[in-house]
Amino acid sequence: MENKNPLSPHIQIYRWHISSLISISHRITGIINIVALIFICFWIALLILGEQNYEYINFFFQSFFGKFLVIGITWSFSFQILSEIRHLFWDLGYGFEITTSKISGLIVIFGSFTITILIYILGRQLV
Amino acid sequence: MVNATKKWVFLKISSVILIPLMLWFIINFVSIYDKNFDEVLVFLTKESSKFLLSVLMIVAFFFSALSISEIFEDYVHDEKIKNISIKLLYSSAIIIPFLTIIVIFNLNI
Repeated sequence: MENKNPLSPHIQIYRWHISSLISISHRITGIINIVALIFICFWIALLILGEQNYEYINFFFQSFFGKFLVIGITWSFSFQILSEIRHLFWDLGYGFEITTSKISGLIVIFGSFTITILIYILGRQLV
Repeated sequence: MVNATKKWVFLKISSVILIPLMLWFIINFVSIYDKNFDEVLVFLTKESSKFLLSVLMIVAFFFSALSISEIFEDYVHDEKIKNISIKLLYSSAIIIPFLTIIVIFNLNI
């Protein structure tokens, strides 16, 4: 049966607001996260193939690009976690007011960078 | 319950499960990603890591498949391409975590 549901308007017709920025970033980080998880599955799979195969990816992770990628994945995970918490609050009926929504949007943006730094410090035990 | 409501409920339940799992994983991943073969194996062969990582894989791929299918529903015009894409997405969301979990439970020090 043909689907008669209307398509959503494409994003370029809207004027940018914090809410739209968070909304599209939420989707983009969602896609980045699943690509990252597929990459992590590949990393785990290399472990079963033995130490020699693992060395290739280990060499990559020790490079500048490897570290940049891991920090990028950490930010993407952090953004998604905060944005998902924001969505859960909306689902419970809180935070719909425009000012509150703008503030929570800013918390997601700045919080994601703060959490990335905290996770990196905690993970590397830099403190 | 209509399908859209079921999908929404599944998305919400999986996101509540995913939030702590993602935090646990990313902190541990940051601590081991550049470590040598043996150190990474020590982490991945712990019973708690095997269990949590398996749950993360299942729930994360389930959540992603549901949410990415929404993006396809919203932005893909062609019905045929949309249906094929969604079927491919759902299949890979089953196959990839399934194979990864097999690998995780076959890792030995």
